[in-house]
Amino acid sequence: MSKTKIVGQSVHRKDAARKVTGRILHVGNIEMPGLLQVAVLRSPYPHARIIGIQKSRAEAMEGVVLVLTGAEIAAMPDVDPYFGPAFKDQPILAIDRVLHVGDPVVAVVAVDRRRAEDALELIEVDYEPLPVVLDVLEAAKSGSPLVHQEFKPAGVFADLDHMEAGEKSNVCYHFKLRTGDVEAAFREADRIFEDTFTSPPAQHMPMEPHVTLVYLDEDEKVNVWTATQSPSFVRTQLSTTLGLPMNRIRVRVPYLGGGYGAKLYGKLEPLVALLALETRRPVRYALSREEEFQTITKHGAVARLKTAVKDGVITGRRCEVFFDTGAYADIGPRIVHKSGYTSAGPYRIPNVRIDSFCVYTNKPPAGAFRGFGVPQVIWAYESQMDIISRELDIDPVQFRMHHALEEGEPFATGTPVHSFGLKESLEQAAEAIEWSGPRPQNNATKVRGKGIASGVKAVLTPSISGAVVMMNSDGSVNVLSSTVEMGQGSDTVLAQIAAEELGVCFDQVHLVQPDTDVTPYDTITAGSRSTYHMGNAVRMASMKIKAQLFGVAARALEANLEDLVARDGRIFVSGSQESGMSMRDVFLAKFGSLGTTIIGEAIFEPRAIPTDPETGRSEKCTEYWFPSASAAEVEVDLETGQVKVVKFLSVGDTGTAINPRHCHQQLLGAAITQLGMTLFEEMVFEEGQLLNGSLLDYQIPSVKDLPEHFESILVEVPHETGPFGAKGVGETGTLTVSPAIANAIEDATGVRIRDLPITPEKILRGLAEKDPKPGRAEVPQ
Amino acid sequence: MKPAKFEYKDPHSVEETLDLLKQYGWDAKILAGGQSLVPMLNFRLASPEILVDINRLQDLDYVEEKDGKLAIGALTRQTTLEFSETVKSRCGLLADATELIGHPQTRNRGTVGGSIVHADPTAELTAIARALDAEMVIRSKDGERTDSAEDFFVSVMTTNLEPEEMLVEVRFPIAPPGSGWAFEEFVLRHGDFAVVGVTAAVTLNSDEVCTDARLAAIGVDETAFRDPALEEIIKGEKITDSVLKELGSQLSEKVEPFDDLHASAAQRKHLVGVLAQRALQKAANMAVENLRGEN
Ligand SMILES: Cc1cc2nc3c(=O)[nH]c(=O)nc-3n(C[C@H](O)[C@H](O)[C@H](O)COP(=O)(O)OP(=O)(O)OC[C@H]3O[C@@H](n4cnc5c(N)ncnc54)[C@H](O)[C@@H]3O)c2cc1C
Repeated sequence: MSKTKIVGQSVHRKDAARKVTGRILHVGNIEMPGLLQVAVLRSPYPHARIIGIQKSRAEAMEGVVLVLTGAEIAAMPDVDPYFGPAFKDQPILAIDRVLHVGDPVVAVVAVDRRRAEDALELIEVDYEPLPVVLDVLEAAKSGSPLVHQEFKPAGVFADLDHMEAGEKSNVCYHFKLRTGDVEAAFREADRIFEDTFTSPPAQHMPMEPHVTLVYLDEDEKVNVWTATQSPSFVRTQLSTTLGLPMNRIRVRVPYLGGGYGAKLYGKLEPLVALLALETRRPVRYALSREEEFQTITKHGAVARLKTAVKDGVITGRRCEVFFDTGAYADIGPRIVHKSGYTSAGPYRIPNVRIDSFCVYTNKPPAGAFRGFGVPQVIWAYESQMDIISRELDIDPVQFRMHHALEEGEPFATGTPVHSFGLKESLEQAAEAIEWSGPRPQNNATKVRGKGIASGVKAVLTPSISGAVVMMNSDGSVNVLSSTVEMGQGSDTVLAQIAAEELGVCFDQVHLVQPDTDVTPYDTITAGSRSTYHMGNAVRMASMKIKAQLFGVAARALEANLEDLVARDGRIFVSGSQESGMSMRDVFLAKFGSLGTTIIGEAIFEPRAIPTDPETGRSEKCTEYWFPSASAAEVEVDLETGQVKVVKFLSVGDTGTAINPRHCHQQLLGAAITQLGMTLFEEMVFEEGQLLNGSLLDYQIPSVKDLPEHFESILVEVPHETGPFGAKGVGETGTLTVSPAIANAIEDATGVRIRDLPITPEKILRGLAEKDPKPGRAEVPQ
Repeated sequence: MKPAKFEYKDPHSVEETLDLLKQYGWDAKILAGGQSLVPMLNFRLASPEILVDINRLQDLDYVEEKDGKLAIGALTRQTTLEFSETVKSRCGLLADATELIGHPQTRNRGTVGGSIVHADPTAELTAIARALDAEMVIRSKDGERTDSAEDFFVSVMTTNLEPEEMLVEVRFPIAPPGSGWAFEEFVLRHGDFAVVGVTAAVTLNSDEVCTDARLAAIGVDETAFRDPALEEIIKGEKITDSVLKELGSQLSEKVEPFDDLHASAAQRKHLVGVLAQRALQKAANMAVENLRGEN
């Protein structure tokens, strides 16, 4: 392949100037005459029956337009009151029971937000508290109180076809993987390691909270402006919810103020659409930050690992992972499946047994979160890799290198791995942190240590991306895609791909923002899939345009098709650029008229072979893998337990980097997210009540909490079917941060932390247990 | 969330403000920098009927030396403490510790009076006021009174101000020669409210013997904690490791902190001892340097 011109360049973001100057459209900024606002009364109980609702005082309040309950929605003839991407388990508003604190119960629509909130105080709801189950391990046991009485599969996504209707358990999905004979491995082992690692529920924290605006146009069509990562899904969901044909619903997405998985599938849209239909006025609902905490969370998880070692080599591993999906499954089952099959690690282990469970509890629902459950399992297996190698006195990097899968070797599912830069990533991380260099210096109260971790995630497969590319007679191009620009840079990267393929300049390519009346179907903007999937669709669509352009040019230039090149807005015979034609000339030759367009359209839909329900095996469980490695150097204050990450490296195999700067930004940004998860973030519950449900108490890192030395390294192992060799990179940087830091802390202090987040108090407790000094102030047990 | 409905008043003078406070009493609330009050309004933890915005009272925004004290107007922004040459040269502890109060953005708005009256149990200014025996100048329609920091702070977010009173000035003593100070705090993230903090100010004589010591801690009690008996431990002594250790462990013993999301009571007890030693050591080192500089 000849060298690319625009692909591989760190061109500037298309949206950057507009974003920093505040000239970008967000749903929250849309103005509309007569726009009404919403406030929602939420459950104060983690589980209760609704006995009665008195709302007449609220309805009588001046400025209040509508007060709506779940029972009223359930009585609407064409409306399906339940929604959800895996199971239809979530009511638009609670109907007879509330299942978590913060469950929406009554919606008030008023002329402004303050009055809507005032009206909430006039509504009385009588509840009868019901038995509650909060702990994920308790919930998974038979005989514990049931959150749902039955499961109704949603039937929307092909990869979730195996969701079964069921009842009488809180486990709504169980993934199994059986490879080899793990019991035999334990019988024959020299050493067996058993550890449990936990991750708490946490928040995505996009700067822009969820917000949805719905209005009916002059044609009574349901127009939805919403902050979503999945416009196509939202349209499908609303079509089911409202009983309307898909072309009566139009979903548009302007730029998102961050998503991180929080804004996937249906969230506020079913409710706001109903409110607009009922009031026949434009209605906007914008969540407060506090409501975000009650709306969607990252899965808390408990991972138990049992690993057999013989002659210094891992021979068997058993993983049991319990994901707390909260009161509604959301996309939990997909997370349990996709992260479940990777939970033994990217290593050569002949005998593996995995059981991964999606478990309902009476907590706010958990859904997709950058990394899709994989950081939770890597936290476990990469912490244990260090525990084992330290115990066996083998260098942790060497231990990983020895077990790391290589090109063509089968993953635990049986799928051979390709384009798998795991060893390269590990090597680069080790080199950058000077792994074999001298130990860092300590002083009296502060000690330093280094840690490393590696891991891998697989892309969601199957999934679908459609694109339409339209070239105008002046060579300018519109790309119609439902990929949502949420800060990750998709507009820029997709424009680079189209420009490269069509031989026009980057600035000539414009991305049409998602609009289901205009832009074709795309599964989701998530899971590190857009550059690869939408990138391929855009490239294929561009090729179709190019074929037409070349056909015209070949005739006009009396040249062979295969000798033609498109570059810098011209089509010419390779080697003689001056003799070619401008795009304008080609269009004139074809149509005899200016202002004309050529359209290319493509759907990219890689397939998978479903994993076997009993063994979890598949010859192709995923389209591609993205390995990651992290290296950290920490300083721990032995008197306060405070951890300072002084140096951090985020390394990822991105495939060919379409835009290297973007790839670096993704690796660093993702590492920051996970730095928060590692050191600070945890949603703390007491009897089902969230104790830190606002930014006053819930702590995320700020730019001042970042490591002094903070860098990223790209490992570019091209993928043979990726657009120009690219893979995905959005989640890579989240994968291995937590264990790298925990491993560095053990290196520094000898203390092993198994429960996130790693707080100073846990470290002090660990130090006291390790070395109980008389006179040291008592630390809590 | 959005605040409940309130009526907004923006008086142009202290007198006018005091009239409003007298008229509305408990129903009124003063709005200064808004860094604490506005979030409380938004969360509807406070829903005053009348909001009295004092930001027009520019004559309460000053720093000056008066009668041997450093007098600071209640509406003085926290940022001013950080950069004012007068504050730096007269009460260096205030200048040095201010960067621990939130972030530049909150300090640009947040006022000295607001922080003191809000009386958050981990507000740095409350610890400094207690340690240095600051005086509060308070006015109402009935006149002016002056109160000690000790009496002023009553409990968590509670002072002895009456609803018709306002704080107009805070007076801090001027640092004597041979003194040094420090504010050590434990925060999880940059700019957070302290989990535990300790401020220390010491004065040494030419033999480097401690003639005066002041120590106050936040995050271990309902208001800033100070115990003169502990200060006696180092008065008349050279500041050595063993003296510091003794003081640290006695302080840890004495405080009766609380558990919360950010630290258990036991962790707070432990931290306060560690931070007290660090703060005193730093203060002593600084005093020694100052002594040498002065000679
Ligand atoms: C992100 C963030 C971080 C912060 N971190 C810290 C921190 O680390 N340390 C810290 O100490 N604080 C911190 N704060 C709080 C901040 O310092 C506030 O500015 C301060 O607590 C209140 O001052 P204010 O002028 O903003 O008062 P306001 O919020 O306007 O008022 C606070 C209270 O004082 C009353 N009041 C104000 N002025 C007077 C007066 N002259 N007389 C009588 N009553 C009065 C008001 O009625 C109200 O009850 C933080 C705040 C934020 C938002």
